[in-house]
Amino acid sequence: MIQKKICMLGASGVGKTSLVKQYVEGIFSEKYLTSIGVKIDKKQIETAKHPVQLMIWDIEGIDRYCGFQAKYLRGASAFIIVTDHTRSQSLVEGLDIFKMVKEVADIPGVLAVNKSDLAASWHWSVAEVNEIKQNFNGFFNTSAKTGDGVEAMFSHLANILTE
Amino acid sequence: MDASLLTALGLLDCVVFRRLSSAKFEVLYRAGNWLDELLPEIVDTKVFCFAQNSAYLEDFLIDAENLWQANKNGRIESGLWSEQLSTQLVRLEASAVVANKQNYLIVSKLEAKYRQKQQTLQIARELLLSSDKISAQHDYLHSRLEELLSQPNRTLTAQQPIAQALTQTDLAVAILDADLHLLNSNPALRTLFDDTNIKIGLPPDKLLLELFRTQYPECERIFSTASSWTGEIYWLNPPQQGKWLKLSIHPIKNDEQRVQNWLFSVSDVTQVKYLLKRNEKLTHFDALTNLPNRQYFWQQLESKIQQNRPFYLLYIDIKQFKRINELHGHVVGDEVIKDLSKRLNAITHVDDMIARIGGTEFAVIMQLNHLHTHISSQDQNQCIKFAEELIRVSCLPFYLSSGLKCEVGLNVGATAFPADTNSAEELMKYADLAVYSAKKKAVSSIEFYSKELIDASRKRIDMENSLRSAVENQEFELFLQPMLDLASGKIIKAEALIRWHHPNGYLVPPDEFIPLAEQTGLIIPIGKWVVTEACAILKRLAEKGEEIKLSINLSPRQVNDRQLFEFIKESVTKAQVNPHHLELELTEGVLIDNYDKVYYLLDEVRKLGMSVSIDDFGTGYSSLSYLQKLPIDRLKIDRSFINEINENSQDSDGAIILAVIAMAHSLKLEVIAEGVETVLQRDFLKLNNCNIAQGYLFSRPVPYDEFCDLLEGQKNKN
Repeated sequence: MIQKKICMLGASGVGKTSLVKQYVEGIFSEKYLTSIGVKIDKKQIETAKHPVQLMIWDIEGIDRYCGFQAKYLRGASAFIIVTDHTRSQSLVEGLDIFKMVKEVADIPGVLAVNKSDLAASWHWSVAEVNEIKQNFNGFFNTSAKTGDGVEAMFSHLANILTE
Repeated sequence: MDASLLTALGLLDCVVFRRLSSAKFEVLYRAGNWLDELLPEIVDTKVFCFAQNSAYLEDFLIDAENLWQANKNGRIESGLWSEQLSTQLVRLEASAVVANKQNYLIVSKLEAKYRQKQQTLQIARELLLSSDKISAQHDYLHSRLEELLSQPNRTLTAQQPIAQALTQTDLAVAILDADLHLLNSNPALRTLFDDTNIKIGLPPDKLLLELFRTQYPECERIFSTASSWTGEIYWLNPPQQGKWLKLSIHPIKNDEQRVQNWLFSVSDVTQVKYLLKRNEKLTHFDALTNLPNRQYFWQQLESKIQQNRPFYLLYIDIKQFKRINELHGHVVGDEVIKDLSKRLNAITHVDDMIARIGGTEFAVIMQLNHLHTHISSQDQNQCIKFAEELIRVSCLPFYLSSGLKCEVGLNVGATAFPADTNSAEELMKYADLAVYSAKKKAVSSIEFYSKELIDASRKRIDMENSLRSAVENQEFELFLQPMLDLASGKIIKAEALIRWHHPNGYLVPPDEFIPLAEQTGLIIPIGKWVVTEACAILKRLAEKGEEIKLSINLSPRQVNDRQLFEFIKESVTKAQVNPHHLELELTEGVLIDNYDKVYYLLDEVRKLGMSVSIDDFGTGYSSLSYLQKLPIDRLKIDRSFINEINENSQDSDGAIILAVIAMAHSLKLEVIAEGVETVLQRDFLKLNNCNIAQGYLFSRPVPYDEFCDLLEGQKNKN
């Protein structure tokens, strides 16, 4: 079966691990537990064309304690930039990461605005977000807690990758 | 000690392979039951090939192979990763090693290392998130309020949107008048200090002021110089646990740049401090730079004073750092601060102490090598040398991971213990005053605290007050300096130059008060007065039938004023003058620093019919590409080039002038020569097709009536 590597990227605390956990295991925990290094999960998915196995690389949040490591993108077919709409800075950092990825890999990227179960409290206007999302190959409001948008996001990516 | 005991102790929970060839490995040592599940290919065999069972490990093998192929002694690490096995989640790290011409691969199970790293980073990241949220909220609301309050013609207490914003926001806000009396506050402020167990003797606004005064020696200077400030204060409210508050203070100025109100905004950051306390290192050290923080620095300063040995206290502020944050965002800003702190730390002597005491502020205690209390010129030189070294390393460009390049400078203020004072509070206060004085200079510099500095600071405040009164009482006059068409010798234009009639009877030249007006923002009302007055003069000239163009100078700060274009447009319309008769003069520096804003402004004013000239051409930046891009009409060759044309000059002395004229003409721009003082200069310029000239040879700047006389005289000549 075809395997596709997908990298989960974003600032710390945006919910990358929670999104993967929700997608792969259908579990959510309210407790924030910071990730260290990398954890790889696999999930098989049907696409319009044929089944594909997603190899999801959940990568430690990029912040002042852990820099961006281009080596993790080696062999990746796509990436997801995860942001948190209760924290303005997470989008600023997400965009910085997006730029860094684009410098080393010409692969599709999806923007996830996570924690949609909470009220948005960042200071980005809808118009600004709309403009930003033009640069991505997909945009999803997600909630790792309720599962909203999670399945759809990974399916969208799988379909892009098998087109 | 045998391997099984080490394994039992969790010290050797690893597997060691020797690489036999590019795909083949031999198992040398193995421990742990996790291996069989992770790498089933090694079960019951000594020599094996990896079979894609661990994606992360296989990926690391690519880097490892590069190391092995290079065949030089060395070691690389994979970084930590996690693998979910059927019964356990294992934390692993791989190392590729070349030793004694042999290639090895080691995979270790590192539960303890992972746990330790996770515990540290858990606290640090929780802290980062809390602090980030509070700071972002605080900064955003503060800047929105500041924007609302700064809009012209606002009456603070009566504005509905402000009142609403204040009621609804979580940010505690107090708006005070210029004398620091409360005008308005919001429920969040009351909630912050609302504790039924404590009887607070003071209302919240007074309590805030009191805490600020007692905890920050900079307090007095902030208010007397109308500066902004952000920092943390501590409210000890026994028997409760006390609260840490992030306080931002910002002056709101009116159109005349006089402080009309003070905006105080406060957030409770106790939670952040609580997280800090869970990690001792974070309590005393700044999380971003790893340098000691303000609290720790303060303790050290007091203990140094106890030792009674002389030292210098250096207060360091990063020059125009706000601009980096505005242009590139806080992530880049943080990276610059981190890199800068490393540079500063690297050159700080091992016996000295450096700390990060504020967002963009560092402080150093520089020990002197003697015990007597007298500070000699040698000591001061030592301090200057150190400050110059600090400045030198900070001025080197910062190359950031994103590929950006940034540059910063430093303002350094210094004060000596015990020569200046023997109190920690006063040392900080004096060093702060000195750094404030250094800030006034365009380039990085060091200032020492001295009585003269205080006198100069007072004198400056007096001058500032006089200038404010001058704005209110309209003590200015526009002098006009004629500009002649070199071909016809006729006055076709004039430059409007401001003069200040000081109440003491003397005339203050612009170079004495314009820089101060720029620094204090008074240039905005003064600039507006110039525009209005120039339009009034144009009207009077038009009524006399004089079709003269008037040029006015725009300063950098004016160009940044968003209302400038509208104001010019309104003034021209109101005075009913022909916009073609107004010319704006800008220096090269203004063009480069504010390219986008300037382009918009110039484009708009030219659409109205006004013209634009570049002043002091040739003295600023050498990039000439903007000449083609920007909508401009004339270049004014700087007087320094004209000066070079004299009886002793050689052929080469006029070369720049000739080059500027040739370039300007090929770009279809006219050329104005300023500072023309001799017939020789005039003839040279005329011969070489310079279009317009201005200078003492024709006339010095004169009052309006005298200028009219010059025009009259010109007519009579004809």
